[in-house]
Amino acid sequence: MKNSFYTIILILILGQASHFGLPWWGLAPIAAIAGWLFPQRTWSCLLAGFAGGFLLWITVALWLDTGNEGMLSARIGTLFMGLSRWAVLATSGVLGGLIGGMGCLTGTWAGSLFGRTAA
Amino acid sequence: MRVFRFLVALLLTILLVWQLHSPQQLGTSRIPALGDFFNPFTGFWQNAEPADITGILNGPLSIPGLKQPVQVVYDDLKVPHIFAENLADAIMAQGYVTAQNRLWQMDISTRQTSGRLSEVLGARTLHLDKLARRRGLLFAAENDWKAWQTSPETALYMEAYAAGVNAWIDQLTPADYPLEFKLLGYAPEPWSPLKTALVVESMIDALNKRDNDLAATNSLAVFGRDTFNYLYPLWNPRQQPIVPDTGQWKGLNVSLPEMSAQLPATTQRDTGIPDMSLPSAFRDFYGSNNWAVSGARTRSGYPILANDTHLPLKLPHVWFQQQLHTPERNCYGVVVPGVPGIAIGFNEEIAWGFTNVSQEVVDWYLIDWTDQTRTAYRIDGAPQQADLRVERIAVKGQPDVLDTVRYTIWGPVVYDDPEHPLYNCAYRYVTHDAPTPESLGQFLNIGRAKTYTDYRNAIPGLDCLAQNVAFASHSGDIAITVEGKFPVRAREQGRFILDGSQSANAWHGFVPQEDLPALLNPSRGFVFSANQHSTPPSYPYFYLGNFDDNRGRRIFNRLEHMQGVTADSMKSIQLDNYNQLAADALPIMLQLLDRTALEAADQEWLKALDAWKYEYKKDLIAPSLFEMWFQDTYLLTWDEQEAFRQQKIDVLFPEGWRFIELLTKDTTSVFFDRRDTPERETARNIVTQAFREMSQKAREKGQEALTWSVFKGFAIRHLTSQAAFSRLGLQTSGSRNTPNAIGQDHGPSFRMVVELTQPVKAWGVYPGGQSGNPGSAYYDNMIDTWVEGNYFELLLLERPDAIPDNRLLVRQTLLPK
Repeated sequence: MKNSFYTIILILILGQASHFGLPWWGLAPIAAIAGWLFPQRTWSCLLAGFAGGFLLWITVALWLDTGNEGMLSARIGTLFMGLSRWAVLATSGVLGGLIGGMGCLTGTWAGSLFGRTAA
Repeated sequence: MRVFRFLVALLLTILLVWQLHSPQQLGTSRIPALGDFFNPFTGFWQNAEPADITGILNGPLSIPGLKQPVQVVYDDLKVPHIFAENLADAIMAQGYVTAQNRLWQMDISTRQTSGRLSEVLGARTLHLDKLARRRGLLFAAENDWKAWQTSPETALYMEAYAAGVNAWIDQLTPADYPLEFKLLGYAPEPWSPLKTALVVESMIDALNKRDNDLAATNSLAVFGRDTFNYLYPLWNPRQQPIVPDTGQWKGLNVSLPEMSAQLPATTQRDTGIPDMSLPSAFRDFYGSNNWAVSGARTRSGYPILANDTHLPLKLPHVWFQQQLHTPERNCYGVVVPGVPGIAIGFNEEIAWGFTNVSQEVVDWYLIDWTDQTRTAYRIDGAPQQADLRVERIAVKGQPDVLDTVRYTIWGPVVYDDPEHPLYNCAYRYVTHDAPTPESLGQFLNIGRAKTYTDYRNAIPGLDCLAQNVAFASHSGDIAITVEGKFPVRAREQGRFILDGSQSANAWHGFVPQEDLPALLNPSRGFVFSANQHSTPPSYPYFYLGNFDDNRGRRIFNRLEHMQGVTADSMKSIQLDNYNQLAADALPIMLQLLDRTALEAADQEWLKALDAWKYEYKKDLIAPSLFEMWFQDTYLLTWDEQEAFRQQKIDVLFPEGWRFIELLTKDTTSVFFDRRDTPERETARNIVTQAFREMSQKAREKGQEALTWSVFKGFAIRHLTSQAAFSRLGLQTSGSRNTPNAIGQDHGPSFRMVVELTQPVKAWGVYPGGQSGNPGSAYYDNMIDTWVEGNYFELLLLERPDAIPDNRLLVRQTLLPK
C-alpha cells in the first residue's frame, strides 16, 4: 500500500520533467523507475502506475482546459465522434494511465530479476 | 520465468508507446498518433489558450535583425497595433505577429498554391498538386520573386517580413505548433519571400483565373454565329458601368482587326477549373462592393468610403487586421496572412478599398504540335521547341513524382489527360509574366499616401491583381480606378479558344496606365463598383469578363437618392438584402403566369410572392420560392444547353439579365419551346409550368425548410472542412445577388466603413477572428457580430499609450537581438 502511494507520488514528481522537454513517452521509464524503487505485486503495481500516469496527465489537461473554459476540448470531442468534454479529458488520463501502468510493471519485474520483491 | 515475464512487459510497454506514437487509419480518415495528440505536454491541450488573455504579458521578445524596439499593442479584438521606428522594422514585426496568430494558414495556403500538399498529406492530394504546378502557379511565384529582387527596396521588405515570420518559427517547440500541424502530423518550415509570392499568387488566382473560352467555343460551334449573338450579348443595357463615358475617351483610337477563330466543338467537361458556364446569377461569386461618397452628400461634410469584399468564408479567416505605425505612416487595414503591408484600409488622411475587376486575363491557345511527342510546335509554320519544366512533387510515404510540363510561347500546357478538351491547349495567363519589381508597392506605399496623387502613384503596383480601387480623402477627393494589367485585344479576341499556330493571335500588349478607366470627383457625388462592367461599350479597348449585373445597380439606386449620408447609411447599404434580379424578373414572371392554370394549393405561394418586396430576409419564404421558380423557369428554357451538357459538351448558359430580357421582349422565342414535348411552348407556358413545379417542391419542403436562411444554408468551414473547427448552420439574410452578398459559404469577408473626418472614424467586421487557433477565444469571436449586421469601431492609434483602457488586451515589446 505504502509502495503504491510512493509510486504515484514519484510519477507525479518526475513526470513534471515533461514540462521541460522530456517527451511524453518519458512517462514509461519514469513509471519503470518508480516500479523498480517500490516493488509491488502485479495488480497493485499496474494500478499504482495507472493512477500515477492518469493523475499526471489529467491534472495538466484539466488545468489547461479550465483556463480555456472548455472551448478546445469541446471541439476535439466533436472531432472524435462526439465525445463530451469530460470524455476528452478522460481519454488523456487513460492514455497516461496505460503508459504509467505498463511502465511500472516493467520496472517492478525488472527489479525482481535482481531480488527486489514486494514485501 | 522472471526474465520471460519481464521481457513480455518490456515488449508490451514499447509496443504501447509505439502504437500511441503512430498515426492510425480508421476507414478513410486518418487519426493522429493518440499519444502525440492527447498528451497534455505537447499535444492539443497546449493549444487551449486561456480564455481571458487580458494583460498576460508576452515578452519582451527578441528578434534577430530588428533595428530598434517595436511596441505591439493588442486591442480587445486581438488586432495588433504595431509601432516601429522604420518600415523594415514594422514589416518584420508584422511578419512576427502574423505568424504568431496564423502560421498554419500561411503554411497550407502556400502548399496549395505551390503544389506541395502531398508532401504532408500523402497521395490523396497529388491531383491537386499536379494541377497547381501545371497551371504554372509556382512558376509565376518564382518569376515574382526574381523580379522583386531587382528592386533593393522590395527585396528588403520581403526579407524583413520573412525574418519576422522565421523569428517566430525558430523559437517554437513542438508543444507550441499550431493545432493543425499536430492533427496532420507535420512541422512548420521556414518562411521565405518566395512563399509571400505564393500567397500573392493564390490571391491573384482566386480572383483572376476565370474564363469561359471552352464553353464559348463550343457554343459558337453548335449554335452558329447568329444564335450565339442572340443568346450571349456582351453588354447589358441596364447596367451602370463603373466609369461612365464623359467624353474622356475621344481621340483614343484602338482599332484592331476583328477576330473569331472558329474551332470545332470539343467533348468532355473541363475538370480542373471551376465550371463557369452557368451564369453568375447561379454561382457563388468572388465579388465585392466598394463606393465613396463626396463631402457634398455627407452630414459631416467629409467623404465616406465603404468596402466589403466577397470571398469564400473560411476559418481561419482570409484577412488579418493590423495597424502599422512608423514616423512616416499610420495606417490600419487588412491583408492576407503572408503578405507584408496593408491591402484594404485607411490612414489619417485617406481610405481605399477593392473590388474585383472581373475582366478576363486568361486565354487558351490551340497548339499545332509537329508530332506525337508534343515537344515541338509550329508558329507561323516554323517549328519551335517547347521548354520542358520538370516538376518534382514530394509525396508522403512514397517516392517523389516527376511531372513534365510543356511551356510554349503562350504558356504551359495544363492538361495531361488526352481525353481532356484542352489537352492540346496552352494557357496564357497574365500572372505568369514577370511583374514590375515594385509590384507589391501598392500594399506598402498606399499606407503613407495623403492625396489623390499619392494614391494614383501607389496603385500601379497592383500589377496583375486586377482591382477596382476606390479612394476618398480628408481633403475632399473621391475616385475609383480600374487597376491592373489588361491585355489589348482585337474585338472578340480571347472570347474563344485561339489558334496558337499564328503569332498574330498574341495579345497586343497591355492597356497603358493612362488609358485605364478612372473617375475623379464626378458631379453625381459618388463613385462605386460591384464587379460590374468597367465602362460602357464606347470605351475603345475591347474586354471580356464575368460581370455582375445586380448588386451594382442596386447600390447605384441607393446612393443616387441619398443625402446627408452618415456611416450608418453606408452600413445600411452593405446590409441591403434587395435583389435587383428578383425585382427585374418577378413582375414579368407574375404577369406571364397563367393564374387560371393554378390549383387552390398554389395560391398560398402566389400570395407570398405577390406581397414580396424582393428582400432576402432570413425569416421570409418568398426568396426561396422565387429562387426555385426562377431557376426552374431558367432550366426549362435552356433545355437545349442542358442537353449538350448531358452529352458532356460544355456550352454557355445565357446570363440572367439576358434571360429576363427575353422573358420581356421575346416570349415566343424558339428557346422557350421544350425539346421533349410536341407542343410549341411560349414563355407563358414555361413560366406557368415552372410555377407548378416550384409549388410542388415547396409543399414537399414545408414552411420551416422554406425559410430563407434554412433554404439557403450558410456555414463557415475550417480550411480542412472539419466540422469540429467550423461554424455550421448560421442564420443569415442576403444572397449572392444582393449587396449583402451572403451566399452559402461565400460572403462579405470584411465590411469596412471609413468617415474621413479628423480624427478619422472607421468601423469594420469580418466573420472570423484574429487568431487562427481553434483553441483561442479569438478564433471566431467576430462571427456573431457579423451575422447580426453590427460593426466594431476600428482603432487608429496615434501612440501606443493612446488605447482606451477598456480596449487594451495586452502589450508586447519586440527587441533587437
